[in-house]
Amino acid sequence: MKRVTRTGRPRTLATALAVALAAIACASSSSKESDSALSAAATAAGTPAWLQPPPPPKEAPVVRPGALHDASLDNGLRVMVLEDRRLPLAVVGVTLPRGAAIESLEEAGLASFTTELMQQGAGEWDALALASVVDDIGASLVVSSSWDSSSVVVVGLERDLDRLLEILATVLLEPRFDPAEAERVRAEQRATLVRARDEPGTLVSWHALATLYPEHRFGVPAMGTNESVQRLDAEAARNFHGRVFTPDGAIFFAAGDVKADRMRDEASRRFGAAAWPSRERTAVSPAPPERVPTAREIVVIDRPDLAQARIVVTHEGLARSDDDRVGADLMNKVLGGSGFASRLMQRVRADEGLTYSVSSGFDLRRHPGPFRISTFTRASETRRVVDLLLAEMERIRSEPPSEDELARAKSLAVGRFGLSLESSEAVLASLVDLAVYDLPADSLDTYRSRVRAIDTAETKRLANLLIHPDRAAIVVLGPAEVVAPQLEDLGEVRIVQP
Amino acid sequence: MQIRLGSWKPLARLHSMLLAASLLCPVVLVPAAHALEDPAASVVATTFENGLTVLTLEDDSTPVVSFQVWVKAGSVDEDRFTGIAHLFEHMMFKGSANIRPEEHARLINARGGRLNAFTSKDFTVYFEDVTSESLPLVIDLEHERFANLRVGESTLDTEREVVLEERRLRTEDSPQGRGLEALFALTWSAHPYRTPVIGWRSDVEKVTVEACQAFFDTYYAPNNLVIAIVGDFDTAETLAHLERTFGTLPPGEPPVRRPTLEPEQRGERRATVYFDLKSAILAAAWHAPASGSADSEALDVASQILSSGRSSRLYRSLVYEAQKALFAQGGYWELVQAGIFYAFAGVRPGESVDEVERLFFEVVDEMREQGVRQAEVDKAVRQIEVSLAGGTATAHALASRIGREMATFGRIRPLEERLAAYRAVTPEDVQRVVATYLVEDQRNVVHVVPEPSEPAGAGEAEARR
Repeated sequence: MKRVTRTGRPRTLATALAVALAAIACASSSSKESDSALSAAATAAGTPAWLQPPPPPKEAPVVRPGALHDASLDNGLRVMVLEDRRLPLAVVGVTLPRGAAIESLEEAGLASFTTELMQQGAGEWDALALASVVDDIGASLVVSSSWDSSSVVVVGLERDLDRLLEILATVLLEPRFDPAEAERVRAEQRATLVRARDEPGTLVSWHALATLYPEHRFGVPAMGTNESVQRLDAEAARNFHGRVFTPDGAIFFAAGDVKADRMRDEASRRFGAAAWPSRERTAVSPAPPERVPTAREIVVIDRPDLAQARIVVTHEGLARSDDDRVGADLMNKVLGGSGFASRLMQRVRADEGLTYSVSSGFDLRRHPGPFRISTFTRASETRRVVDLLLAEMERIRSEPPSEDELARAKSLAVGRFGLSLESSEAVLASLVDLAVYDLPADSLDTYRSRVRAIDTAETKRLANLLIHPDRAAIVVLGPAEVVAPQLEDLGEVRIVQP
Repeated sequence: MQIRLGSWKPLARLHSMLLAASLLCPVVLVPAAHALEDPAASVVATTFENGLTVLTLEDDSTPVVSFQVWVKAGSVDEDRFTGIAHLFEHMMFKGSANIRPEEHARLINARGGRLNAFTSKDFTVYFEDVTSESLPLVIDLEHERFANLRVGESTLDTEREVVLEERRLRTEDSPQGRGLEALFALTWSAHPYRTPVIGWRSDVEKVTVEACQAFFDTYYAPNNLVIAIVGDFDTAETLAHLERTFGTLPPGEPPVRRPTLEPEQRGERRATVYFDLKSAILAAAWHAPASGSADSEALDVASQILSSGRSSRLYRSLVYEAQKALFAQGGYWELVQAGIFYAFAGVRPGESVDEVERLFFEVVDEMREQGVRQAEVDKAVRQIEVSLAGGTATAHALASRIGREMATFGRIRPLEERLAAYRAVTPEDVQRVVATYLVEDQRNVVHVVPEPSEPAGAGEAEARR
């Protein structure tokens, strides 16, 4: 046995060690004993750990008891506070359950435009003054929108908490919507749309969405189009703000080195009925068609200069609140949603060396978003890869996840869930997300047991219900001259310009 | 999850990487009431008899462990085949005496763990983030591949194709990737940092099993590794486990790094890369000092003043006022043997890259000639403080910090030391480093632009060829 010696050399470390023993005050050493017993047993046997039955996963409560505070104000605003004093940082924000999905096609990009413009001046501050107020204290301000929500979030040091809250309230409630700034933001948004098309991955995904939803808002990028953005101005942003940034269904949240009592007081003073009156809740957008496409579509976007073909195979998917979402996620993990644990990665990358990455997934939104498989390969191998993708879609139906595959997918889901909630910010973000979709607040606590309740009969049912190789759209970006002929016997190939 | 090449990161993200990399230690300049203890202060450093260094840092606030192996080998160490450090990193997932190809990743995945690896110019890093009961599995699996790796002809051929797809993805079909590859080759005319981490295509196509085996034998010896473990585990027990496994690996003789030194640059160098795009790219670099330089804090502060936030000089000038660029960043990137200060900007469609370049260098010239204000330095230091505090939030971030510091400096720089260095930066220091390093005859400039159309008469399709 080799001698283990502490290094004497880094004296700093030795000193550090002494300091340290006093330091990590937040650490509690509860389950240490059982741990030790476990791995001692494992190694005593002399067999490597991969040949032994896995120890039971160590699961901590998602939220430490007493750390989360949840209340509602009389204007409908929900207040969620998660105390965590490990770092001297604070995150404060407001999220509203309305985003780009409520735009009409004609005004596509309005949510992006409005949220960007909100950062270009508020209250007494013009654009540059606001930027300085944020930067001077090392804070960051992000105003953003997704398909189903919009948010204002401010992060900084706890000792600047008053200022962070002031920035949040001013940007949220008193944006200036200056016409000159609006013009600048509009030009920038249009330029960004043009630039995004330089990126092959973005371009192919936009074409895939356009193929699935030719007449629905989902068919156009969240940022809109050159034409729709051209129509936007300060007035449109002001109106959108008026109808979206209301307290109905909104959530004020604070995490980090904050005190719940004080945050509740601040929320009701700054965002209560007097400061932020309730309004009629805006109607949600119309749902997209249930089945898209109804028959096979093949689209090739011609980029003669590229060596690689970007491939998307796609059709309709699931809604965020669908009861099948946990089972569908497990089925998808087996298909292509879990890296090397997935069938697609094994087949296309590990066995054949045809790609660097392949993945599948459901884009969960309030209305069902797309299901898609995305990958890329050298242009000459396009057909081989498309065939492999379609074959694996077929196989997940005909040979649904086995007991072993499902067991692996479940422990992956449960383990990743634990890892993803390492920081308080992440826990709070998950809780806010549940609130946005009107899902039960205890969803995080019940998640592990819901995963464990799924059986192979269920994943088989879901594979057959949700995966449709026969009519999925095949969208490929690459040199059409090389790519299109390979796909011709799969159906009519439509070649489009980027 | 996939094995990802972290190799190099696009300069667009360099700035955040810079913070993650060079400033990572949580420096906090705060009044006592808010003092943040340096979590890395409780690191235990252990050296085994075979020369392996192990850093352990217990924190059981969440039941998570990050395990990282830092191998002191990167693309800088390659001789015959560029890209071998990275291709070899892929081969580490392709099986060993007792583990089939991909089984390592599959086993970690099946426990819900995250694993990955990346290769940089200086290091190759393997990591697993797992819930704590899986640490023994991680150690056994890592030991298995360090002890019993098998590089086979057919797996190498398959993985070579995977890497070539990765190269097409990140470099050949990416305007940004093309631009950076050109920039490094232009900036370093002799030093091995000039080669792309992923390697030149013709080398990747030729790497042999024997070359892989030799690379492994040379560099993957225990005395060339730093293992960093952070999270919820028992130190004594884990060290004992490591001793039974990694402790039995025979030490090697990793060569002392003696790279070709970069000769002094005399005069600006320029290159143009054609790509079918609408938004041209400006990428430039000046030579700057290596990690650990006395000027590094002042260079970091200069980076912040140029690029951090909407009140930064570059954003205000190029994006907000002139409206010629969609983004513009400049920053210090330190490597073990040399550094660069980079400039990177996305030109608005329809605007000229020459004009963006002129405006960019005007901002730099102004800093050199007129200096910066104390308020700007204060703001920069505050921004650094916030990002450093945030950088200690996860076990993974802490393990990265201590692993990198130990592999680079042979020690973990204490917070107080870093803090004092940032606080000591004056406006004069910032002006001095800008005047010293960001000079015209040390500058290397790359434009990524669409190929100009041929004169009237030629069709567009031909013009593109």
